[in-house]
Amino acid sequence: MMSDLLFYGLVTTLVLLSLLAVSLPNLLHGAIALIGSFFATAALYIMLQLEFVALSQIMLYIGGIIIFMLIIILLTSGLGQENRYMVKGRRRAAGAGVSALLLIGLLLTISQPSETLQKATLRAAPVTMDDIGFRLMATNKNGFIIPFEIISILLLVALVGAVVIARRDNGQEQES
Amino acid sequence: MDTSIWRPILYLIGFMAFAGVNAAWLGWAERKGAAHIQRRNGPKEVGPFGLWQPLADGIKLMTKQLLIPSGTDDILFRIAPILAMIPALTSMVVIPFSGNIQARSIDMSVLLIFALASIGMFAILLGGWASGNKYAVISAARVVSQSIAYEIPMLITVITIVMITGSTNLQDIALAQQGGFWHWNIFRLEGGHFVYMWIAFLIYFICSVAETNRAPFDMAEAESELVAGYMTEYGSMGFGLFMMGEYLNIVVGACMTTILFLGGWGSPFGFLPGIWWFLIKIYILIFTIIWIRWTYPRTQIYKLLNLSWKILIPFSLVNLLVTAAFIKVF
Repeated sequence: MMSDLLFYGLVTTLVLLSLLAVSLPNLLHGAIALIGSFFATAALYIMLQLEFVALSQIMLYIGGIIIFMLIIILLTSGLGQENRYMVKGRRRAAGAGVSALLLIGLLLTISQPSETLQKATLRAAPVTMDDIGFRLMATNKNGFIIPFEIISILLLVALVGAVVIARRDNGQEQES
Repeated sequence: MDTSIWRPILYLIGFMAFAGVNAAWLGWAERKGAAHIQRRNGPKEVGPFGLWQPLADGIKLMTKQLLIPSGTDDILFRIAPILAMIPALTSMVVIPFSGNIQARSIDMSVLLIFALASIGMFAILLGGWASGNKYAVISAARVVSQSIAYEIPMLITVITIVMITGSTNLQDIALAQQGGFWHWNIFRLEGGHFVYMWIAFLIYFICSVAETNRAPFDMAEAESELVAGYMTEYGSMGFGLFMMGEYLNIVVGACMTTILFLGGWGSPFGFLPGIWWFLIKIYILIFTIIWIRWTYPRTQIYKLLNLSWKILIPFSLVNLLVTAAFIKVF
């Protein structure tokens, strides 16, 4: 009962914020509505006991990508600048048609009881950090050891590269 | 009791009260501390030792007009101070104040805290930009670069702790350090392998001071260069909320340092219940942060970034490597 109420509250917030994100004339306000909708999604993940996914949602999408989006917006647009575009009637109709098709398709897929979907849901529900760690480091055919190692080396290279770039700048400063 | 609806409500009220009392009286503690360090008296008129000064300040801030200068981004200007408090308040949910005082123990609480810490500077960025003031915009840009630079060594240091403990649950990390101060992560005397952990503690503590924008790292509100940075245009309770957010961040930072390095609620000798030790430890840390602020002069922004990228990141990487090697060997 309680969790149902919470779920509907969260979903309403999610839909409202997503609508705001695409309809607000000010780009920055739109980005902030997008952040809100990401938070609502993270809360939904937590309700589904997918804590790792929720936290990566917050860390990667909000902490990483959105912050860079914000900086780009802040650097390129003026304060309170509004972008209003007139959309022609024909385009509006086309957009409505595409979204209606998508909605019908989704409704048809979800309303049909599918065995694979149910099985997948059951298997996915409580994922612990240990599971993820073992899966990432596994060397068998379900493992992700090679991409994991490549990414870790890539990140280390980026980090060391940043330090090297910073060092070189300072050296030139001292010489001149 | 566990499934009762009253439990979350009680915790919510408790956190709000804890946050409000801390935000108010840490302001008093800071003014008093600053005054005594500078051989002044500090607030002393309102109540004994000026103890009711926060109430007077609160009434004054709340009765002032909320002034929104023309040329600002109206909505963001109003939202930003509220956003300043949300990450710190949310992260209190997973902090174990004692063995049995914790709102919710989730498996990845360390990750949750640092995910929220990474969006802490968000409010400052928005507030600074919405003010439409050149000083405020510079301050907003500084906050982002500072926060990104200090997150890296901080997270790398936390990873070493997670590796030693083998868990990302704050409760487990604190439990692993119970039974006397020689078990704490900062000393780690019993095995003899990790005796150098005080270096990690030092790195972590410097990073947490820098993350909370405290002097000597308060580049965001450097009065000597930027008037008051992102707070320049804020008055009345907008300013008040930003200050409360700053103090809450300090409290959460102190809680995290206590749990990760100083044994959480564990008592060093074995008397007094855990919650008191936890509070004593966090207030000692908070006092240290205040002490540092009024002792050292402000650094400069490029020195600040150099400290992180050239000293703290290499040191924390080496620390990670050595710890990993020790775990593998012993």
